[in-house]
Amino acid sequence: MMKIVMKFGGTSVGTGENIRHVADLVAQYAKNECRIAVVVSALAGVTNSLIEIACKAKRSDAKQIEAFTEGLREKHLQAVSTAISSKAIQKEVAQIIEKTIFELEKVLTGIAYIGELTPKSRDYVASFGERLSAPIVWGAIKDHKLETQWFTGKEAGIVTDSNFGEANPLMNFTSHLIRERISPLLEKGIIPVVTGFIAANQDGIVTTVGRGGSDYTATILGVALQVDEVWIWTDVDGIMTTDPKLVPSARMLPQLSYQEAAEMAIFGAKAMHPRALGPVSKENIPVRIRNTANPENPGTLITKEPKNDSKEVVKAVAMIKDVAMLNVYGAGMVGAPGSYAKVFDVLGKNNINVMMVSTAVSEANISMIIKRDLLGRAISNLEIALLERGGFVTEVSAEDDVAVIAVMGAHMKGTLGVASRIFSTVAKKGINIRMIAQGSSELNISFVVKEKDGIAVVKAIHEEFKLDKA
Amino acid sequence: MRIILVGYGVVGKGVTTILSRRYVEKTRDVGFNPKIVAIADIDGAVINPRGLSPEKLEAIKQRGFPISADPDFGRPGISALDVIESVEAEVVVEVTPVNIQNAEPAMSHITKAFKTGKHVVTTNKGPLALAMPALTELAEFNNVYFRFSGTVGGGTPMLEFAKRCLAGDKILSIRGILNGTTNYILTEMSKNHVSFQDALVNAQKLGYAEREPSMDIDGFDAACKVVILANWIMNKKITLKDVDRTGIRDVSLQMLEEAAKRNSTLKLIGSIEGDRATVKPTEIPLTNPLCVSGVLNAVTFQTEFAGEQTLIGKGAGGIETASAVLRDLLDIRRKLATKLLN
Repeated sequence: MMKIVMKFGGTSVGTGENIRHVADLVAQYAKNECRIAVVVSALAGVTNSLIEIACKAKRSDAKQIEAFTEGLREKHLQAVSTAISSKAIQKEVAQIIEKTIFELEKVLTGIAYIGELTPKSRDYVASFGERLSAPIVWGAIKDHKLETQWFTGKEAGIVTDSNFGEANPLMNFTSHLIRERISPLLEKGIIPVVTGFIAANQDGIVTTVGRGGSDYTATILGVALQVDEVWIWTDVDGIMTTDPKLVPSARMLPQLSYQEAAEMAIFGAKAMHPRALGPVSKENIPVRIRNTANPENPGTLITKEPKNDSKEVVKAVAMIKDVAMLNVYGAGMVGAPGSYAKVFDVLGKNNINVMMVSTAVSEANISMIIKRDLLGRAISNLEIALLERGGFVTEVSAEDDVAVIAVMGAHMKGTLGVASRIFSTVAKKGINIRMIAQGSSELNISFVVKEKDGIAVVKAIHEEFKLDKA
Repeated sequence: MRIILVGYGVVGKGVTTILSRRYVEKTRDVGFNPKIVAIADIDGAVINPRGLSPEKLEAIKQRGFPISADPDFGRPGISALDVIESVEAEVVVEVTPVNIQNAEPAMSHITKAFKTGKHVVTTNKGPLALAMPALTELAEFNNVYFRFSGTVGGGTPMLEFAKRCLAGDKILSIRGILNGTTNYILTEMSKNHVSFQDALVNAQKLGYAEREPSMDIDGFDAACKVVILANWIMNKKITLKDVDRTGIRDVSLQMLEEAAKRNSTLKLIGSIEGDRATVKPTEIPLTNPLCVSGVLNAVTFQTEFAGEQTLIGKGAGGIETASAVLRDLLDIRRKLATKLLN
């Protein structure tokens, strides 16, 4: 009998119809000799709207808050009536929704009164999205005459540190509690439905796991319950060789290693965040990305060592837009220990994440890639802090019309001539490369071109390495 | 160092005795000044921030009253959890009775201590057997020390020996006689040819075995110790259910006689080899250093470089186990001192 954690993302539970479909899928597998634990996200868009209202609440009046919660109530009650057919279950779930909305209203009013939103209360507000979606999914599964029980992440036993907004699980303690509370249900064939994204610290205060979100909850649960596979149900077939909007011949990748999948995080929302892969890669539990709209497709299987792995050196190529290249020059940096640290320290203190770094052994300049909307802040702060002070930075410049192209595949490691193939492909198109980086892991070569040339480069590389062919 | 003692049974009394005995010497020689500021028992507690006198409490107990009946410092009805949370102290010494069903109340006592920033010394195998990876993680997260050397080998420092004296070497496997009661029964059976049942009754008369002997003779106690050794020394994240366990109920005189003909005998051996953790009656040669008699415990560590090392000692007893508590307290004191001075 196969044990599976199934996670359904925001679009999979976006509407009542979708939730009904999700419950159908769960029922189908449950009746097919599978033991299933379900993890659900908030209805699409709800978490963002909660965080937005929480930020606004400190300046809002009761009317605005009421309008918001009323909209949220409508949306969820609507979903209840389409997702669930039994009137009795509808009523039961609707009561939970009403109670939860009432609590949310009180919390938001509290924030409005105090006029302050702490990270702690922000997490508390953000947790309502999943607290509203999970009971609906629970009701829809119950509608299939299946035994099921729903839990918040906190009730399930996910214990984290108190790093609100991006809490880290205490994995061993969490496993211990989940095994006590959830495992016995699973063994009895009861389907636990657990809210994704939310957990609690050791004192029971609600936290959220931040990056990786509900996928992270799913892998935590997968490890604790020692399941055979974790399935991430989403609205695409799996992880693709590239964005099909850029290259129509893009193909789904049937298998990937954890390492490769982690590299693919840059591919955006359609891939898994490396953080979410952490727990499963340690315990070697496979993850499968699947499409709720196309359940016949087996999706992308992520394991430690993919079987029948294609020996193709390059597996995927991606373009990362909305970035800018930042260059810091200064002859004084040459041979001066600690000079780079100062540059990164200024950026770090201003909460600017550096995505890519390149510097030559001459040490006279550092090139970095950062998010484009942070460019102004980065330049200004670097200039204020370092320009001519201590004499080592003489100029800070930037280019904001660039894009990063990332080429990845585990078999690039140790294969000669990959870089040469990539760069001659770009050269043949008459396109100039502005910056290059390859870590010693050799899983990924990233380089920077003008944004207007980005699509042409992605297409050319996709073609050169025949990524459209299995 | 201020100490909250939770549990006032045989080991608890042993702890108070050992801390007060040769108190002056300990203070003078190692600079250790332990002060028991609270003792929590099942029906209440005694609390005195300036330190409690064990003689007075013993006298109250002798007269048949719970310690919370102390007229000056007694707090009848207060729960151990409240004491742990509210009384100021550096260390909680947890010595309540073992429970391997759900590890309570010790599990709650220990987690409460961690959450309130107190170091913990325990001799209670229950929480460790059921949730050792979770507890060591929680201690580390809360930046407190967690010591439990009295849980394996009683007063014999088996855990420290392997962890510290063999540091740097790789321990490949661990095998040992980890339960004195069963070893006494098997020794009686093979040497004096008494049946299992008679040997068990003897052991109960001598106070080696409990009236409800399952914990010992079905191998649970040894299995708990296997879990602790595997986690602490070999970094294996296992709990009690991962141990393949067989007790000694089915060991017959005939089996022992057969073994004797081969110059061997049957012992209840707990072992960790590779990914396998087991407790089962195993035939070993009489010449094997593990082959100890009576209530003795023995454990052999097989190491990569230093070969086989065997440790033999008394595995249980209130005062022996309490001596392990003292050892753990001194260890914590040393660590804290280093931290405070740096």
